[in-house]
Amino acid sequence: MERRQFIQGLFAASAVAAVTTPSTLMAEEAKKPAKGPNDMSFDEAVKVITGGKEVKESDKIKLTVPEIAENGAVVPVKVNVDYPMTDKESVTAIHILNTANGNARCVDVMLTPANEKAYFATRVKLSKTQEVVALVALSDGTFIKKGKSVKVTIGGCG
Amino acid sequence: MAEARKSMIKIKPKKYKVGDTVKVDFIVIHPMDTGMQKDKKTGKIKPAHYIDNITFSFDGKPFTTMKVWESVSTNPYFSVNYKITGKGKITVDYTDNQGEKNSKSKKVKPKG
Repeated sequence: MERRQFIQGLFAASAVAAVTTPSTLMAEEAKKPAKGPNDMSFDEAVKVITGGKEVKESDKIKLTVPEIAENGAVVPVKVNVDYPMTDKESVTAIHILNTANGNARCVDVMLTPANEKAYFATRVKLSKTQEVVALVALSDGTFIKKGKSVKVTIGGCG
Repeated sequence: MAEARKSMIKIKPKKYKVGDTVKVDFIVIHPMDTGMQKDKKTGKIKPAHYIDNITFSFDGKPFTTMKVWESVSTNPYFSVNYKITGKGKITVDYTDNQGEKNSKSKKVKPKG
């Protein structure tokens, strides 16, 4: 009898565990801060910008980011694109993206030939070690990109 | 909440001529809250508050527009190139997601 009771007890305990684990997990998830309204994954963001078109890696883009960022709240990003800026052919937009923040989009910059050179600089927040990607739209409808990973010692979100 | 924000436009280098390409830097004092951080004093989550649109224009003609998201740092800094075509005024208009509208302008005085 003792053995039977023991086994029954085991079964009961495991059943209880099976029921409780998902619910406790759910509760933990609920405790996390609510998702931002603009949250978007990197792949989704690329799809929205390019409309599903192919994006080529290119050395025409010079992306300057620090290799190691001690403070993730302030990471300087500089983009230079080696491409003519005339009425016929120009860089129409520079998109700065990240791969691991809640919202993958940082800034979308629409340029015109009046800028003379395709250049943009800003500072972004990075939550953890990840890649910063500059996605550049050209006037002929093609897209090029360049990414560089940044090691973040202290995250900049929260 | 329609307080005037501190902002600054810098043209680099300081001395320039017609036809030169200069860097136009724009810096504004803004919290850029993501809507996910907690206020340390009250323990409540701070609502999202960030700049979402910026327009750089020269004498009313926009030459660069930006769409900004919350991943940009506090007190953001933006820098673009611009080719000086003559005397005029560079104006930067910016709005944030809570409806604040502000603008800042700087005179362009090319020498020579």
